[in-house]
Amino acid sequence: MPPDSASHPRLVLDEARVVYPDFVGRYSLAVEAGALCAVVGPSGGGKTTLLHLIAGFETAAGGSLTFAGRDLTALAPAERPLAMVFQDHNLFPHLTAFQNVALGVKPSLRPDESERQRVAEALAAVELSGLAERRPGEMSGGQRQRVAIARALVTRKPLLLLDEPFGALDPGLRRGMIRLVDDLRRARGITVLLTIHTPADILDIANTAAFVADGEVVAQGAPAAILDPARDPRIAAFLG
Amino acid sequence: MNGRLRGQLAGALVLAGILALVAGSLGALASAAGASDGLSGIGPYLVRILAFSTAQAALSTLLSLALGVPLALALARRRFPGRHLALAALGAAAVMPAIVVVFAVVAVYGRGGWLSGLLAQFGIGPAFRVYGWPGILIGHVLLNAPLVARVALDALARVPAEHWRLARLLGFSPLAVLRHLDLPVLRAELAGLASLVFLLCFTSFAIVLTLGGGGRASLEVAIFEALRVDLDFARAAALSVVQIVLCGTVALALHRAVARAPVGHTLRAAIPRPDRDHRGLRLLDGAVLALGALLILPPLLSLAAALPHLSALLDADVARALVTSLAIALASAGLATGMALALAGAARSARLVQRSGRAAALYDLAPALVIAAPPFALTAGLFLLVRRAVDPALAGYALLPLMNALGALPFAYRFLAGPAMAGGERYGRLADLLRLRGLARLRIVDWPLLRRPFAAAFAMAMALSFGDFGVVALLGGSELRTLPYLLYERLGAYRLDEAAALGLLLVLVAFALAYASSRFTDVSH
Repeated sequence: MPPDSASHPRLVLDEARVVYPDFVGRYSLAVEAGALCAVVGPSGGGKTTLLHLIAGFETAAGGSLTFAGRDLTALAPAERPLAMVFQDHNLFPHLTAFQNVALGVKPSLRPDESERQRVAEALAAVELSGLAERRPGEMSGGQRQRVAIARALVTRKPLLLLDEPFGALDPGLRRGMIRLVDDLRRARGITVLLTIHTPADILDIANTAAFVADGEVVAQGAPAAILDPARDPRIAAFLG
Repeated sequence: MNGRLRGQLAGALVLAGILALVAGSLGALASAAGASDGLSGIGPYLVRILAFSTAQAALSTLLSLALGVPLALALARRRFPGRHLALAALGAAAVMPAIVVVFAVVAVYGRGGWLSGLLAQFGIGPAFRVYGWPGILIGHVLLNAPLVARVALDALARVPAEHWRLARLLGFSPLAVLRHLDLPVLRAELAGLASLVFLLCFTSFAIVLTLGGGGRASLEVAIFEALRVDLDFARAAALSVVQIVLCGTVALALHRAVARAPVGHTLRAAIPRPDRDHRGLRLLDGAVLALGALLILPPLLSLAAALPHLSALLDADVARALVTSLAIALASAGLATGMALALAGAARSARLVQRSGRAAALYDLAPALVIAAPPFALTAGLFLLVRRAVDPALAGYALLPLMNALGALPFAYRFLAGPAMAGGERYGRLADLLRLRGLARLRIVDWPLLRRPFAAAFAMAMALSFGDFGVVALLGGSELRTLPYLLYERLGAYRLDEAAALGLLLVLVAFALAYASSRFTDVSH
């Protein structure tokens, strides 16, 4: 069973396995509906692999993966009820911010009026209405990531995966972006999984946290409680 | 020296050397000319060869792109057993010696060739005469469509992994994948690639000379005739200037159209493309791959007809020519990759340290200038310069590696410029902070990134030099005989079985080198 299973879990991984020649991941995790779950842990511990497994970029070699009771393991990434934001290369450089967001509703880039409205609303939600016609090369790193978040929002998928999306931003901006994600989560009721290197940024915001190391969820629970060095030597080593 | 310019020293020396070489050799030709009317007596002839050169080069380029780009897309989308061999066949076709291409095109499409034989079985007469436009176009497409496919395939491999994941997540249709992932990288590559193919076809020699039929000549052929047949050095120099101006203008115009920094490879594990399962695309890719195989494989296989005559290779002349060719290929590959590294390093330094796009463009353009400059005129000019100081028989041994290296320089530069730039972007500041300079920087920072593209460039340069039948047509003789020259001699003496065996040997070596090159560049390997 997943550790510290929540009372109304929405996303559930039960011994979901990923097997590489030099790495085996075995994940058990439960996240409540509408929660913000911070995924923390050392580099190379398997945080990104966990998100790729949930997104469908990695095929589960065993175990189960469900969301709202629906088995996701056999579904292609596009069929899964989720959107994702990466650390880098989220935007297509030849498209404007508006077009990059519009890909989320119409990959052919021929949105009708209501879809254009949705794109405009998503850009407004991340406070980028004025930059809709800019290309990624004309925007700052934080603005680019906000465009990527707007595209995730416009898909109206109930689960949002963020793979260290703010790692390259300065601390103030990073905190601001996490607050923005949290506000959007509350407003839209979406479930968010966010991997992060700097747990201090998120401990007071996240509802739950999972510590991932050596390809497994070592501990899951309240953010403040999870980073207790006494729980596991790997947590102690991570905290230094 | 100013620290901002120190990184450009080697590249600046190479650039200055190339410019001095071109100016010096053309000057030597002009001063040796004596009394001659240069171009004034050949006005209509010049117009005719210019029009023909332009038309055949434009059509050859269009056809090469029309086949090469779909081939690259099909190969990017598909994984099948023997894909590595298919890539090697493309590489081998791209570096197939022009004289062997001629031989193979005649064997397949000539009057007594495979195609005629096949059509005759159905009671159909010869479909066309290979000499003239058909032979030139087939020869050029056979050489250049594989080149386009290889370069385009490498470009497609540079799409960031995250974009493929996004495409899968957003459920991109095959059309959306083409529009948002494939075309942007292809668009950035194609104008430069088209200019390269155009210049190669415009300056084509062996194929136009032998498959062109009577009365058709490219500028390169006209320069060769002026030097070797008419001994009219002034006309050769004047025609060379015309070629340099025209080709230089084309290279410059296209370079401006696509002025951008070279982009480094994004090394990544192979990520499945979301369009690979589309049934219609699968059929289309199958058709494109079959068409490519139909064009490329028969000429390659036609050389296998020489298998029963391989004993002809057990000959002292062949052994000597083989050793000579290998030695020249090794020397020219070393020179070409060395020059390409110096130019790529200088362009990187100009972009990242000096922040001068114009200075960087100078280094980027140097390899294109080399294509624009006719090798015959350069060789003849250099020969005139050195003949008093060096035994003319020995001069060829120095000039041939140098000229072959210059011929391979644009290809070597394409392999190395991107990774060199990527190394600078990723680790340049760190290297500066750590005060890593010169050889230490090359060994610790750049070499790990450049090792594979360097090996690929070296193998490609070796293959190009090994099969070259251009400059050796001018310098070759009993003192200096390479394998392509020996093949040319055997063809001239109608010793066709021996010529076929030599052609097979040349292609096998080119295939091995191209295979090595493809293994070094395929990121999925």
